[in-house]
Amino acid sequence: MGAFVIRRLVWLPVLLFFISVITFALGLYGPGDPVQVLLGVHANPETVERLRREYGFDQPFYVQYLNYVANALQGNFGYSLVKYRDQPVGKLIADALPVTIQLNLVAIFLGLGIGVPLGLLAGLQRDTWIDLLVRGLVVAGISLPIIFLNPVLTFLFSRRHDFVLAAAQMKFSVGPFLPMVAGHWDGLFSAKIILPAFIESLGIIALMTRQMRAGMIEVLSEDYIRTARAKGLRERVVVVRHAMRNALIPIATILGLMLGGLVAGSFLVENWFGVPGVGALAYDALFSRDYYITMALVLLIAIAYVLSNLLVDLTYGLLDPRIRKA
Amino acid sequence: MAQQTINAGALKPRAQSPQARFVRRILANLPAALGAVVILLMVFIALFAPFLAPYAYDAQNLNAVEQPPSRAHWFGTDALGRDMFSRILWGARSAVFVILMVTVVDLLLGVPLGAIAGYFGGWADTIIMRTADILFAFPGLLFVFFIAATIKPGIINWAKTIGLGDFARTGYLDYAVVIIALGVIGWAGLARLIRAQVLTVKEREFVIGAHAIGVPTWRVIVRHILPNAFAPIIVAMSMGLGDIALSEGYLSFLGIGLQPPAPSWGNIIAENAGRYWRQFPQMIWLVFIPGLVLAAIVFAFNFFGDGLNEALNPEIVD
Amino acid sequence: MSNSESTNGNRWLIGIIVILLVALCGAVCVGGGVLYVLMQPGANPFAQGATPVAPGKQPVPTTRPPATGGKAILRLPGTSDPRTLDPAQVNDTNAGQFVAEIFSGLVTLDQNIKVVPDIAEKWDVSDDRKTYTFYLRKEVKFHDGRPVTAQDFKYSIERVANPATLSPTAENYLGDIVGIKDKLNRRAAEVSGVQVIDDYTLKITIDAPKSYFLAKLTFPTAYVVDKNNVERDGRNWTDKPNGTGPFKLQEYVRSQRMILAKNENYYGDVKPKLDQVQFIFAGGSFMTMYENGDLESVYVTIVDIDRASDPNSPLNKELFLGPSLATGFIVFNTLKPPFDDPKVRLAFAYAMDRQKVIDVVYHKMPMLANTILPPGMPGYVEPANPLAYDPAKAKQLLAESKYAGKLPDITWTTIGAGGSAAQDVQVLVGMLQSNLGARVSIQQTDDASFFNTIDDPTRNPYQMFDVGWSADYVDPQNFLDILFRTGSTQNWANYSNPQMDKLVDQAAVEKDTATRFKLYQQAEQMILADVPVIPLTHSREYWLTKPYVQGMVYPPMIIPRLKYVSIER
Repeated sequence: MGAFVIRRLVWLPVLLFFISVITFALGLYGPGDPVQVLLGVHANPETVERLRREYGFDQPFYVQYLNYVANALQGNFGYSLVKYRDQPVGKLIADALPVTIQLNLVAIFLGLGIGVPLGLLAGLQRDTWIDLLVRGLVVAGISLPIIFLNPVLTFLFSRRHDFVLAAAQMKFSVGPFLPMVAGHWDGLFSAKIILPAFIESLGIIALMTRQMRAGMIEVLSEDYIRTARAKGLRERVVVVRHAMRNALIPIATILGLMLGGLVAGSFLVENWFGVPGVGALAYDALFSRDYYITMALVLLIAIAYVLSNLLVDLTYGLLDPRIRKA
Repeated sequence: MAQQTINAGALKPRAQSPQARFVRRILANLPAALGAVVILLMVFIALFAPFLAPYAYDAQNLNAVEQPPSRAHWFGTDALGRDMFSRILWGARSAVFVILMVTVVDLLLGVPLGAIAGYFGGWADTIIMRTADILFAFPGLLFVFFIAATIKPGIINWAKTIGLGDFARTGYLDYAVVIIALGVIGWAGLARLIRAQVLTVKEREFVIGAHAIGVPTWRVIVRHILPNAFAPIIVAMSMGLGDIALSEGYLSFLGIGLQPPAPSWGNIIAENAGRYWRQFPQMIWLVFIPGLVLAAIVFAFNFFGDGLNEALNPEIVD
Repeated sequence: MSNSESTNGNRWLIGIIVILLVALCGAVCVGGGVLYVLMQPGANPFAQGATPVAPGKQPVPTTRPPATGGKAILRLPGTSDPRTLDPAQVNDTNAGQFVAEIFSGLVTLDQNIKVVPDIAEKWDVSDDRKTYTFYLRKEVKFHDGRPVTAQDFKYSIERVANPATLSPTAENYLGDIVGIKDKLNRRAAEVSGVQVIDDYTLKITIDAPKSYFLAKLTFPTAYVVDKNNVERDGRNWTDKPNGTGPFKLQEYVRSQRMILAKNENYYGDVKPKLDQVQFIFAGGSFMTMYENGDLESVYVTIVDIDRASDPNSPLNKELFLGPSLATGFIVFNTLKPPFDDPKVRLAFAYAMDRQKVIDVVYHKMPMLANTILPPGMPGYVEPANPLAYDPAKAKQLLAESKYAGKLPDITWTTIGAGGSAAQDVQVLVGMLQSNLGARVSIQQTDDASFFNTIDDPTRNPYQMFDVGWSADYVDPQNFLDILFRTGSTQNWANYSNPQMDKLVDQAAVEKDTATRFKLYQQAEQMILADVPVIPLTHSREYWLTKPYVQGMVYPPMIIPRLKYVSIER
């Protein structure tokens, strides 16, 4: 186990080096430069040249890269050049990160809370209509494009819908739920969090359901379950004791992967709903060529992903003794 | 031991009649079958769009903007009076083309690299797999968009300098950018899969035997090892198709890919979502329907992939 | 049960409990969320008919200001956070609108965008018109009470010229002053053209007798800043700006709100009447907020313009129009075929029904442009025979041109980043196709590449493109000279007409204003006849303002406008 961890830790800085170089190169050699965007059509060529010089954009690649790395290691990721001029990138990200984390936490809760029971249910009731329904819902969850869900859900919740039940002679209306769509972000307990969190949780629900179901099925058919049944233990005991613990392992994997990946996933959702998180920041930065922000974000997300991968591998080792021995 | 089943009936799932079991099996595979049908339909539409579409996709009619669905316009018209039905049909071309090409690129990159990594091990393995690791670390859609936005002007300029300027105009270069961006990211997963398969097959007797009688390496890989890895490849690809379709939708929504007025489902949604999400009833045919079409395709690919997975990796049956 | 099984069992029991807890949390969250939403005022989905003002409804107009405890508070929407509050860094109107209230300079613009004295109460101009001597008012103080002197102006201008300040507007607005460019490019340590004569006298020398110099000086780049303020607080000095303007910065929470408070000791002839101005950045739909009475003024976007323009709507009485000094152009690169032939350009001009685009795509919001200068710009004159839509003439002209029958493929490059290209471009391309049979394809590109490319006109590969230009300062030189003089970097069309050049050269240094404008008008006629560009739109701003607000103006340039506003009770 020790050797395993050390090997992974040594690879980490090499990985980070490659990631940072690639990101930096893309940002630097991408079209146009922030000076141009900042000044737009009114750019005076003398101004452009002067600012390029003062910002150091005319230095060779490795000089700029090394400067960037040296600064980054001290926590200075540069300053926003376009949208929030003179705000340090680190501060912008630090302000946006808690928002995204809150959003994703809610998404994970929703995802686990809905996905785990659904998956277990589907696994237990395999090949019945319940199973098919659940599996259908799961596919729906991962197939509905975010760009479709965003406007549709917003539309549904921002209008008043009138229903008439002729049979019962009842007329009632639902909505509009304006705080959910029109309000501004107010933290974890604002109504604004519900729709984006729900949309993000769909992927998690799908994954969890699938995993729990597969785990349940696999385990239900294993020898020791048959043994337990043969011994006459009650079905409930069988399930609770034996099946669920082995299904736990994949969850650890997935949770770890998700934590790294969710930050990036909120790209489209945050922008649409006006949630001031990392995704919205990335969206704005990409479109306005604010490349210090973009670079820092891509770097940080990649690092988060790599670290969470490492964490997952370690947890895997802890949970499953077989792997530890490997 | 396990064979003594007391009260087996009480513990096994309910007994089923042969007919019930048959119906269940069909139902379980129905989504997959439907998925296959939808995919074939989409390919058909993509091939024959110019003949199937009642109007040209860019035929504007400023006197008939934002019309609801009618006999003349089955899916209504958009803000410039263009027929939505025709545009959606043409959008299938973009989707099919990109999905096909990205799959090809992934195969072309992933299979050989994975095979080499698995077969030769050592340095080749390390380099290839570490590169895959690096690619995995980058945040998906964000990174694809980053790449595409960054390299696109470069590619267009480069194409102009080598004389392919006209090519640029027809939009193929826009496709090229999407395909490269998605392909560069996508091959890693396939390569990993191939490598794992190659590793397991490598040590089997018939491979060792082939070596023993002097079959050249490449031939061993191609004729003996790869065919045994097919099933997982096919499954992985079919599961991935849904993702590629989705990514293509997102990218063209963000502006990478086919340029307006040429329609792709993503850019149709982009054109209309920001403007009409509050306006009822335009919202229905301008945003809802194109979104549903894209969703339906992704559904189809996912159901189909699921079904394929079940078929090729049968789970333990009662 | 064996030993290991029981310890394993215990460990995994914990895991099971965790799972169940998580599931419980999930359920609680979902349930809690639903409850929370239901508890929101006005969001009760089962209320009969009691819905809040939702988009699409006709509100009852609020005619009385809300009770604010006797203080006059104006609430305005903020489009987005200002990029900066440092006058030396301001280069857009969004940031400028705040900076113009907090800071001020030697001269400014009044509500009619005429240059008027500000901190300088009068000035002398030398005979060669290259030296301006400004006499400052003696009672001007910074917000903290310190008196403003000529040294402060010297400091401020030196600061802008300091390369370390990284000002993006230094060359544009102060570049005419002698010595500025030398300091910017590290060839000199001080700006020689700015001299302090005494505490209240400042002398500025420019490099040529340019008539538009004072107009440029009204821009924030020339505002005065407090040396102590800047040097003490470093990079974040704008968090507590010590300015000279009619309002002080009371509070600024990024992305939430900015609150300006009246400067009781403001020196100007027009004193601010509002006690407080609140700019709201967050809050979703500003239109909804205005209709609910939470804002005093709101800008109207294309989504709501039809509703606001409807004469039967109560909103219509509150609608105000403000021209922005901007023109949108369709530009032909006259160095590239087929646009090297003026007949082709003219044919294209006749083939596009621009009025239709404005009606259908823009819902009539902007004005159809037939001139280069926008209305409101001094020197603007209505065209005598504007270019009308005439497809027959277009076809004829094309047939007479040297590309008759062999029109090459054309690419129209436009700025666009999302999946939807500018609809106006799409419509115009459609017209070109149906009227001339021209094969025009649209190429979207990001703004950085776009500006990079068009700023080098001789090497610009684009054949045709669309671009907008808004006035940097209120003078026709900013349009006719900068955009069309041979060799100018903003001469996107590569237009070269030596006679036109002579006219604008003359006008640049002409002393008599009436003669100047005549020269510019002649130049404009020349340009329009040659069609290097087709003017498309003059944008207009639409605002709704509550009837109890007086004095609100919507100037197209950055001016301190809030001091004219009062609230009637």
